[in-house]
Amino acid sequence: MMRRLKRRDFLRIMGGVSGSTLLSSCGSPKGSKTFISYVLPPEEGVIPGEATYSPSTCAECPAGCGVSVTLRYGWPVKLEGSPGHPVSDGGLCIRGQSSITRLYHPKRIASPMLRNGGGKFQGISWEKALALVSESLAASRREGRTNLFLSGRTSGSLSRLIDSFCRTREVERLPEFEVYSHSAVKEANGLLFGQREVPRYRIENADFLLTVGADILETHVSPVSYARQVSRARGEGGFLWVHAEPHLSLTGANADRRIVVSPGRETIFLLYVLRQLLEKRAGKKGLPAEVAGSLPRMSAGRASEATGIPADTLKEVCDRIAHARRPLVIAGGVSTAHPGGLGVAAAAGMIQWVTGAIPGLVDFAGRENDERVGTFRDMEDLSARLERGKVGVLFLSRTNPVFSLPGRYAFRENLGKAMLSVAIGDLFDETMREAGLILPLSHALESWGDVEPRRGVLSLVKPALEPLHDTLSEGDMLLRIMGEGSGKGTAAGYRDYLFGEWTRRFGEQGRDALLKTGFVEESLPGKRVSLDGRKAASLFKGQNATGREMAGPVLVLAPSLRTFDGRSRGLPLLSEIPDPLTTISYGSWLSVSPGTAKASGLKDREEVTVSSGDWSQRFPVKIQPGLAEGVVVACRDFVDSPPLRREERTGGAVEYIEAVGIAKSGKTAAIPILSGSPSQRGRGLVPDPSHKDEKHHHGRESLYPEHSHEKYRWAMVIDLALCNGCSACVAACYIENNVPVVGKKDHLKGREMSWLRIEPFYGETGDVEFLPMLCQQCHAAPCETVCPVYAAYHNPEGLNVQVYNRCVGTRYCSNNCPYKVRRFNWFWHRWEKPLNRMLNPELEARGPGVMEKCTFCIQRIRAAKDKAKDGSRKVRDGEVTTACAQSCPTGAITFGNLLDPESGVYRLSHSGRVYRVFEGLGTDPSVYYLSGGKGGPGRKSHG
Amino acid sequence: MTHSPAAEQRVEKTVRKPAILLAVTAYFGVLLLALAALGISWYRAGLAPDQPIAFPHTIHVSKLNLPCNFCHIFVDRSRHAGAPPLEKCMSCHTAIATEREEIRKLARHYEEKRPVEWNRVYSLPEHVYFSHKRHVKAQVDCSECHGKVGAMKKVRKVGSLKMGWCVSCHRVRGASLDCATCHK
Repeated sequence: MMRRLKRRDFLRIMGGVSGSTLLSSCGSPKGSKTFISYVLPPEEGVIPGEATYSPSTCAECPAGCGVSVTLRYGWPVKLEGSPGHPVSDGGLCIRGQSSITRLYHPKRIASPMLRNGGGKFQGISWEKALALVSESLAASRREGRTNLFLSGRTSGSLSRLIDSFCRTREVERLPEFEVYSHSAVKEANGLLFGQREVPRYRIENADFLLTVGADILETHVSPVSYARQVSRARGEGGFLWVHAEPHLSLTGANADRRIVVSPGRETIFLLYVLRQLLEKRAGKKGLPAEVAGSLPRMSAGRASEATGIPADTLKEVCDRIAHARRPLVIAGGVSTAHPGGLGVAAAAGMIQWVTGAIPGLVDFAGRENDERVGTFRDMEDLSARLERGKVGVLFLSRTNPVFSLPGRYAFRENLGKAMLSVAIGDLFDETMREAGLILPLSHALESWGDVEPRRGVLSLVKPALEPLHDTLSEGDMLLRIMGEGSGKGTAAGYRDYLFGEWTRRFGEQGRDALLKTGFVEESLPGKRVSLDGRKAASLFKGQNATGREMAGPVLVLAPSLRTFDGRSRGLPLLSEIPDPLTTISYGSWLSVSPGTAKASGLKDREEVTVSSGDWSQRFPVKIQPGLAEGVVVACRDFVDSPPLRREERTGGAVEYIEAVGIAKSGKTAAIPILSGSPSQRGRGLVPDPSHKDEKHHHGRESLYPEHSHEKYRWAMVIDLALCNGCSACVAACYIENNVPVVGKKDHLKGREMSWLRIEPFYGETGDVEFLPMLCQQCHAAPCETVCPVYAAYHNPEGLNVQVYNRCVGTRYCSNNCPYKVRRFNWFWHRWEKPLNRMLNPELEARGPGVMEKCTFCIQRIRAAKDKAKDGSRKVRDGEVTTACAQSCPTGAITFGNLLDPESGVYRLSHSGRVYRVFEGLGTDPSVYYLSGGKGGPGRKSHG
Repeated sequence: MTHSPAAEQRVEKTVRKPAILLAVTAYFGVLLLALAALGISWYRAGLAPDQPIAFPHTIHVSKLNLPCNFCHIFVDRSRHAGAPPLEKCMSCHTAIATEREEIRKLARHYEEKRPVEWNRVYSLPEHVYFSHKRHVKAQVDCSECHGKVGAMKKVRKVGSLKMGWCVSCHRVRGASLDCATCHK
C-alpha cells in the first residue's frame, strides 16, 4: 500500500521548498556588478566599449600573412587579414583565423617542465630551467659532445638571433626542418639557373598558369597570396589555369582545367610540352643545343599513353601555352615529392626559360626566405648522430620530427640518446612528449618579433596582450640563456633587441612606421638569370620517353588544407570545420575512387587496413568522385610515421607509397560526413546549362504584405567563379559569432552549429562546384511565418532576425527552412577557460533550447550605422562587411545595401550571371550567387 | 446533560479542524510576509547600493553645477557613459577638501594606482545592446532615465530598465521599434 503523506511531512517539505526558493532567488543578475574608474584616462582615440585594432603577423604557417588583431576590452577576440599587406592583402585562411584559438587553448603549456625520474613532466621555474640548459651546454662540451639547434622555418631577426646564440654558446645550427621543404624546386633552380631557391611566383601578371602538383590553394608556400593573385588574374579576363595532378586536391578542383596525370609521370607530360614549344618555335628563347638534344623524343600517342592524359588534351595545353603571352609554370607539392620530382621541377623551369617570362613572372629577387630549410637527408643524418651518442643538448624549436619522419628513422628512439633534449613549443605534440625539458613558447599575439617571409618584406609581430601563462618568446629565451652564459645581458629583452635591429635597418622614422602599419616592403630590382646548359643537359640524361611506372595502388599523402603538415592538429576548431572536398569533419579517412570502390565493394565509412611492409594503419573509406583509378589518398596529417622513402638526388621526402595493401577490416567507422549527397541531384543549387529553374511559384500572389525598406536592404553577392571552397569564411564566422565547437559526437548526430558551410557538388566528370550556404535572409521567409512566439521576424532592413531571448525552441523554423541553415542549441556549450576570453561581447552566447543562424553579422551593421549616424549620413558602401567577406582570400563575397545603386552588391546583383538558390520556391532570398565557369568554357576534368 | 464520548470526539474534531487550517495559513502567511519584506528591502538596497567612496552628486551637480559630461566624459562618444578617471577627481581634490575621509580614500587609490570599483546602479542583461551616445545625441536628457541625480546623496535607480519602459519611450519619440535595434 502506498504510504500516505502525513501533515507534518507535508509542512516539512513545503517549508524546505519555500526556503530553498528564497535562497536560490538571491543570486546576482547576470553581467558584471561593478565598473571601474581608471587611474589615468585612456589613450587618445581609445573609447571604452569600442574595438581597437593592432597589427601583427600570423604564425600558424611560414607564409607570414599580415593580420589585424581585434581587441575588445583589452582582449584579442578575432584576427582579420590586414588590407594592403604585401603577402596577404586583407585575406586570411582557415588556419590563420583559427590561430587565435591557439592563444586561448586550454591545454597551452603554462610553465617550463622537466621530465623527472619517473618519466613524468613536472613544472619548474624559468630560472631553474634556463640554468639547467646553461649547465648542460657546458657539461656536454666538457664531455666532447656537440650541442645542436633544430627549428622549423625561421626568418627575420629571430633567425639572426639564433645565429648569434649558436655562435656565442658554441651550438651547431642544423638545417631547419619542414615537411614541405620544396627541395626538388630549389635543387632544380640551383642546377638550371644557379639560384637554389623558391622564387616568388607573380600569378597576377600571368595570362596562363600551369600548376603541376603545386597545391597553391592549400599549403604551397603562400596560399592566401596565391588565391588572391589567381582571383585578380581571373578578374582581368583571358586567364586560363590548368592544373595537373595525380590525385584530387582543392587546388585541382578550382583550376579551369584539371588534368589527371599518372603518378610519377609529370616529367613526361612537361617534357612533351617543352619539346612541342621548341618544335613550334613558340618560345621567346631557345635552348642550348646540348640541352635540346638531351630531351627524350616522343610522339603525342606515346606521351599520352605514358601520362594517361588524352592526346587532344596534351595538344590543347601545348597550344594554349604557345599562344599565351605571359605563361607561368609552377611545379611543386606531391608532383615534386616522388623519385622523378627533380625532373618535374627542372622541366617546369625549362618551360619557363623557353617562354621567357623570367623575371616578370618568376622573380628570384623576391624569393622566399627559406634557404636554411633542409631536407629529409639532413634529418636522417641527425638521427644517426643522435644514435652515435655524440649529441649533448638538442634544441627542438617549433618542429615535430617524431610525428613527421618515417618510422625507420627511429627519431623517437634516438632522441633519448641526447644528453638533454629541449623542446620549445606551445601545445604538446609527439616530439615534445619525448623531450627532456620543455620551454613553453608565448603565442605570436603575446610576443614581439618580425617575420621576413620573402625578400623585401618584413612583417611585424606585435604583442596584443601580456602572456596568459608563464611563457616566454623564443627570442627572450635565447637572450636569457646568452645573458647567463656571459654574465651580462646582451640586451634587456628581445623587444629591445628588435627595436635596435629595426632602428639600425630603417632608422627611427622607419621603425615607427613599421610599428604603425605592421610591415615594410622594399622594392627589389628584377634579377636576370641565365640557363646553365651543361647542368641542364645532365638533368635529363638517361630520361626515356616513358618514365618509371609506379606499382599500384599508390597511396598519395596529400597536404592538408586544415592542418598544413599536421602542425595545426591541436586546434579543435579546425576539426570542427569539415574538409571542403569530402565534408568530413572529425577523424581521418582514405579517399578512394568510385571505380576502385565499386570493384572492391567498398562503401563510405567502411574501415580498411592500408599496409606497406611492416607499416599499417586503419582508415575509414570515403568515396571521392573525380579521383583517378589506382590512386588512394590520405591527408599527410593523419598518417603517423609513414614508411616514406627519400629522394636520392634532392634529399626530399617521397610522399607516395607504392603497392600498398588495402584490406577490409570488417568494421565500419563512425566518421561524420556532413554533406547528405555529393550530387545536387538536378536541383539547380549551382545551375548548369542543362538545368532550368521552373519558377513555378512566380506570379502567385503572396498572402502576406510586401516588406518595405526605406534606408537599407542588406544583401550579399557570392561569386562562385571566385569561391574556391577554402573555408576561411567558415572559420571567420565561427570566431566572429561565438559559434560553439560541439565535437564529433554531436556531429555524428547532425548537430553541427556552423552558420555558414561549404557544400561541394560533384558533376558526372568529377568536377566540383563549391557553394557557400548560409541564411539566405529571405524576404518571404518560410521560417518567420511558422514561429509561434515571433522570435523569427523580418526587420525593416531586410534581415531575418532571430530574437534569442524570445525563442522557445519549437524548431518549426528549422523544419520549414528549405536551405537548412538554422541551428538548434541542444545543450549549454561551454567555452573552457580561457577560451571564454575569445567570446565576442557584441553578441549574446546562446543558451540551450534556442535556435540560431547567420545574422549577416548584425553587430557589424550596428557598429557601422552608429558611426554613420554620428555623421548624420547613411552607411557608405564598403563601410560594413561581414566576417566571411572580410576573410575571403579571393574576394568572392560582397556585402552591402541593395537600395544604394552605387553599391557593389547592387551592381553585381544586376549582372547577367546572377541567380538565387531555390528561387522557384518564391522565398525571395537576399543572397545572390554569381554562377559561371571559372575562367573559360569547358570547365571539365580530363584524364 | 451528559456528553457521550462520541459526541465529545465530534466536538473536538470540529474545533481541531479550523485550528489546523488557521495554523497552516498563518505559517504560510508569515513566510510570505517575511519573504515580501526581505524582497522589498533587498530590492530597495539594490536600487541604491553603497559605493566604495560615498560620492555626493548633490554637491557636484547641484552646488557646483558641473554638467554630467564633465565627469562622464564618454557619454556622448561611447555606449558607456564611463566613470571619470581618478586623475580628473584629483585635479580638484589635491587642493579641495583634502582632509575629508572619503577624499583621503580617493587620494589613496590615486597614489597606489588602484582603480576604484564602483557598484553598478543600472545594469542590463547580456542580450541587450544600449548606447548612451545614441540617446544623448537624440537629445534625451540624462534625467529622463536617471532622475534628478543632483538631488541624490546616494545614487538610486529610477528607470526600471524593463523592456516595456524602453519601448514606451521609443514609441513616444518615434525611435526604432525593431527588435534588432536593442536585442543582440
